[in-house]
Amino acid sequence: MATVVTLPLTLTAAPSGHSAPSKGKISSPVKLPVYPAGPSYISAAKRHLLQRSFAEDDEELALEREAAAAKAREEANGEPYPGLGEEVEHKDLLASDPKEWKKQDHYAILGLGHLRYMANDEQIRIAHRRKVLRHHPDKKAGANGGASSGTTNDDAFFKCISKAFDTLTSNERRRQFDSVDWNIEDEVPDPKRVPADKFCETFAPVFAREARFSKVQPVPGFGGSDASKKEVEGFYDFWYNFDSWRSFEWHDKEVNEGSDSRDDKRFTEKKNKSERQRRKKEDNTRLREMVDSVLASDPRIKRIKADEKAARDAKKKGGVSGSATPNGPAKPMSAAEKKVAEEKRKKEEAEKAEAEKKSNEASKADREAAKKAKEAARKNLKKWKKSISTVIAASNYFQPEGKAPAASTVEKQLAELDTLVELLEPEEVKDLKEKVEAGGSGEPAKQALKDKVAALGDKASGKFVEFA
Amino acid sequence: MLRQQRVKTVWSAPAILGINFGQSYASIAVIDKEGHPTCIANEEGERQIACAISYVGEQVYFGNGAKPHLVKNGKNTMMGFRNLLGHTYDEVDHTAILTAPLIPTSETPAYTVDILIPAPVPSKTATPASRSAAASGTATPVPAPEPVPSTKTLTVPEVTTLFLSTLFTSAKDFLGVKPTACVISAPTWFTPAQHEALRDAAQKAGINILQVLDEAAAVLVGYRVGLSEERKQRGLLGSPEEGDAGETEKRDKKVVVLDMGETSLGVSVVAVSEGEYTVLGKGREDKLGGREFDNLLLKHFAKEFTKKTKVALDLPCGESAPDADKRAEAKLRLAVEHTKRSLSASSGAATCAVESLKDGLDLSSAVNRLRFDGLAAGVYRQVGSKMTEIVNAAGLDLVQIDEVLLAGSSTLFPGLQQHLSLLVAPTTPVTAAIDPSEVIAVGCALQALHLSNLQEVKIGDVLKLADQPVDCLAQPIAIALPGSDQLVTVIGSGAPLPVRRRVALPVEKGVEKVALELWEGKDEVKVEKVEREKFEPEEGDEEDEEEEEEDEEVKTPVVSKSAYLGLVELAGLKGENVLLEIIVHRGAGVEARAWEQGREDEAVKVEL
Repeated sequence: MATVVTLPLTLTAAPSGHSAPSKGKISSPVKLPVYPAGPSYISAAKRHLLQRSFAEDDEELALEREAAAAKAREEANGEPYPGLGEEVEHKDLLASDPKEWKKQDHYAILGLGHLRYMANDEQIRIAHRRKVLRHHPDKKAGANGGASSGTTNDDAFFKCISKAFDTLTSNERRRQFDSVDWNIEDEVPDPKRVPADKFCETFAPVFAREARFSKVQPVPGFGGSDASKKEVEGFYDFWYNFDSWRSFEWHDKEVNEGSDSRDDKRFTEKKNKSERQRRKKEDNTRLREMVDSVLASDPRIKRIKADEKAARDAKKKGGVSGSATPNGPAKPMSAAEKKVAEEKRKKEEAEKAEAEKKSNEASKADREAAKKAKEAARKNLKKWKKSISTVIAASNYFQPEGKAPAASTVEKQLAELDTLVELLEPEEVKDLKEKVEAGGSGEPAKQALKDKVAALGDKASGKFVEFA
Repeated sequence: MLRQQRVKTVWSAPAILGINFGQSYASIAVIDKEGHPTCIANEEGERQIACAISYVGEQVYFGNGAKPHLVKNGKNTMMGFRNLLGHTYDEVDHTAILTAPLIPTSETPAYTVDILIPAPVPSKTATPASRSAAASGTATPVPAPEPVPSTKTLTVPEVTTLFLSTLFTSAKDFLGVKPTACVISAPTWFTPAQHEALRDAAQKAGINILQVLDEAAAVLVGYRVGLSEERKQRGLLGSPEEGDAGETEKRDKKVVVLDMGETSLGVSVVAVSEGEYTVLGKGREDKLGGREFDNLLLKHFAKEFTKKTKVALDLPCGESAPDADKRAEAKLRLAVEHTKRSLSASSGAATCAVESLKDGLDLSSAVNRLRFDGLAAGVYRQVGSKMTEIVNAAGLDLVQIDEVLLAGSSTLFPGLQQHLSLLVAPTTPVTAAIDPSEVIAVGCALQALHLSNLQEVKIGDVLKLADQPVDCLAQPIAIALPGSDQLVTVIGSGAPLPVRRRVALPVEKGVEKVALELWEGKDEVKVEKVEREKFEPEEGDEEDEEEEEEDEEVKTPVVSKSAYLGLVELAGLKGENVLLEIIVHRGAGVEARAWEQGREDEAVKVEL
C-alpha cells in the first residue's frame, strides 16, 4: 500500500501567465545492485514476478489485509476454541473439596474431560479463564444477593479450579497426574477371546492409548490386518523396547507437616520411593504381559508364518521338480535361466489375468441383468400365487355348485398349489397365473393347473392328487 | 503424539533461525513468541560465540570454551576459518602465529591437529611379543589401554560445518524443535563462490538455508530501515543531536552501514527507498577491527607491567619473540577481551588482571574510558577516514548521509560513536538502538521470517531477481511551485524501478486552482563560507557551539533543478489536501496523478 507523506510545501494559487520552462527528458536509469532483503524488496519482487501493476497490487494487498483483519476480529470476538470448558458440571463435581485435590479430576474441573492428556497449554489456559469467569467468588456473592447459607464453601470450587490450573500448567505435575489419570479406561480385552477379524480394530485403540506414555514419538501404529511382516515386527519391537515416562509420584504419601522429625520425613520419603519403584515395575510388567498376550494371539503373526511356510514349501517343491527334469540331477538353475523362467511365468500370469478380466467384464453385464430379473420375479411370486388361489377360491375349489368344499379338500388344494409354485420357475408361475386368470373360474382354471402339473412330468409324480 | 503436541505449544512461533557467522564471533537469533527476533545465548550462556574449535586430547572444545586453549594448545586450535571458505591454499594468507597452521599439501585450506583416539580393544590373537612374554612366564598385568596419539586433517569447509552444527544444536535446544528455516550472514565482500561454499557447509550441517545474506543487508533488515512505522513502534530510531530524525524517518534516504568486527571494518553506502536497499558503494579495511583495540590495550598494559615490575615485556610481539613473550601475549589477550567489554559497557574504570604474566609476576591494572579514548583516538580517526573515503567514492558527501547504522561489537565504544557523529551532519543519527553485536543475527532471523511467509511465488525466484544489478532511478524526482526555485524531493535517487510515491500537499485557504511543476533534480552540496566577523554579532550566543568547532564551511545538501518534466494542474478545489502520485516505470516513463483528498475518481492524470 502506498503510504502518503505530507510534504512541507503549501500549494498556492496557480500564477497566471507563467510560462513553462522548456521540457527536458528524464535521465536514463542507472544499473545498481540491490540487496535482496527486507519486506519491501520481497513485495516488489513479487509484484514483478506476478506481473502486477501498482494498482493491482494495491487491490491484492487490500484484500489480503481485509482477510487478515477479519481473521483477527474473529479471533478477538469469537472464541478460538468454541465450546471449550463448557462441559456439563455435575453436582458432585461442583461439590469437590479443594482439600482433596489429589482425588479431584483436574481435567473435568476445567471442563476438559473430553480432551484430557491431549489438551494443549493454550486450551488449558482458555478453559481456565472461562471457568474462572463463571465461578469467581465475587460473582457468586452478587448472584446470591448475600442471602446464602453456605458462604464458607462458596469459593471451594474456585479453589479447585486454581488447583487444577496449577497442576495442569506445570509440566512436571501434569506429567504426574497424567501418569495416574484414573479416568482413562485401562481395560484390555482378552486377546484369546477376540475374533481374528476384529483383532486389529480392537487392539489399535488400546495401544494408541498406551502410546501416550512413550518418550519416543511418534509411536508406530498397530496397522491393519494386512500389515506387512516388517510393519508388524517393527510394531512389536517398539513395544518390547518401550520407554515410558509414566511415574507414580502422585500416589506419594504426604510427609506429616506437623512433625518436624527428620526421621519421620526420611522414613516416609523412603517408603514413597520404594512404592514408586514398585508401581513402576508393576506397570512395566503389565505392559510387557499385555504385549506378550497380544503377540501370542495376533492373527497377523499366524498369517505371516503361514505365508513363509508356503513360500518355503513352494521353494522346496520347485527344487524337487527341478531335479526331476530330464536335464540332469539336482542342477540348480543358473541366474539367467531363473530370470527367464521368472519372466515367462510373470508374462503368462499377466496374460491370464488380462484374459480373465476381459471375459469377466463381458459376461458381467449379462449376468447382472439376469440376476435383476430373477430378483424381481421372486418378489412377484407371492402375488401371483395369491391371485391363483383367489381364482381357485372363486371357483369354489372346483366343487360342484352349491356344495361347500370340505376343509380337507381346501387344505389339500392349497398345499398342492404351494408345491407347484415351488417346483415351477418364477416365469412359469407367471405364465400359469395368466392362464388361470384368462380361463376364469371353474373348469378352465383347473385344466390350466393340470396342464402345468403334467408339464412337470417326473418331478411332479406322486405329489399331486387334486391337480393330477 | 502427546509429547509433540506439547512441544509445539511450548513454542508456538515458527522455528526460524538467523545466524551471524563472523570471522571471530558468531551469534544466533530466533523468532520469539511475540513474533519478534531475539538474539539467544548458547548453552554456555554466551551470546557472542567465538568461532573457534580446539582439539585437546580426546576432547573437542567449541566456541568460547575453545579460546583459552590458545595459550597452551595453540597449534590444535582453529580460528578464523570463515574467510578462507571458497579459497584455495595459495590464495590465502597462511601465517598463523598462535592458531593451528594451514597445511601446504592440501589445495583447499586444511588444518592438521593432534588428537588422541581411544585405544583399540586388544584383539584376541596375541601378537608375537605378548606371546613371548607369556611364554617367559612373567605374569605382568595387562596395562589399561592407552589412547593412541593420532592426527586428524580437517578442511576449512569441514571445520565450518562442524562449527555451524554446534550453533544449530544450540538453537534447537533453545527452541525445543529443529529450526525449519535459516538465513546466514556473509560479509559484504564475499564472492559468489564463497557464498556457495558457505551455503554448502551449512547445508552439510543439516541447516535449511533460505538465503546467504549480506551482513549490511542484515543490519538494514534488523533495523527495519525504511519501514518507519514499525521502526518507530519498536523504538529502533537513532537519537541525533538535532532535528527530528529521532521521531520520524525519511522515506528515501542514504544510509551508511558501518560494521566493525573483531578483525575487519566494512562500510556500505546504501540508498533506502521506502524499504528497498540499493547499494551505492562499499568498502572494507581488513586490518581495522577490534584487534586494533586489543593491541593498543596490550601495549598499554605491557608498558604498565614493565614500569611496575621492571621486567621487559614488549607486546604485541612478532613471530621471532621468545616463547615466554608469546605466552604472555596470549594470556593478556584473553584478559584484555574482558577489559574491552567492560570499557564499552560501563563508564567507570575497567580492570585487567593476569596471574603470572611473565616470570611469575602478576599484572593488575585498570584503564578508564578517557584514557582509552586517548589511546584509541588514532583508530577512531582511521575508521572515520575510511568511512569518508567510501562515502566519497560512492559520489556522496558526508552531509548527505541521513543515518549511520552500527554493527559489530567493536562499534560499542562510546568514543567511536561520538567520533562518527561529529563527522556527519548534526541531524544524522548514529544508531546503535539494537546491540551492534546482535543486530546481524536479528536481521537474519527477521529475513528468514519474511522469506518463510512468502506466498504465491518461490523464494528462489524472488532472490534471483537481485543477482544482477537492476535499473534504478538516476536522479531524484522533485516538485516545485511554478516560478519558484524551491524543489521538494518526492522520489530519491537510487530507487529501484518501477517506483511509486504518494505525497499529500496542504493547500492555502481559499485557493481553487493549483499547479505543480515536476522536475528532475540533482543532489548537490551547497557550501557556504561563513566568516567570523559577520557571524558573531549577528547570530549571537545561540551559535556558540558552531563557533567552537571552528567550522568555516557550512555544507548543506540541496536539490537543484536539472530538467523540467511537466506540469500538473488541478482545479475546483474545496480546501482539502491535494494528493499527488508519481510513478516511474521500468523504462523510465513518468506518470503523475493528482486529486483532492477523497475524490480519487476525479484524478488528473499526466503522462510525461
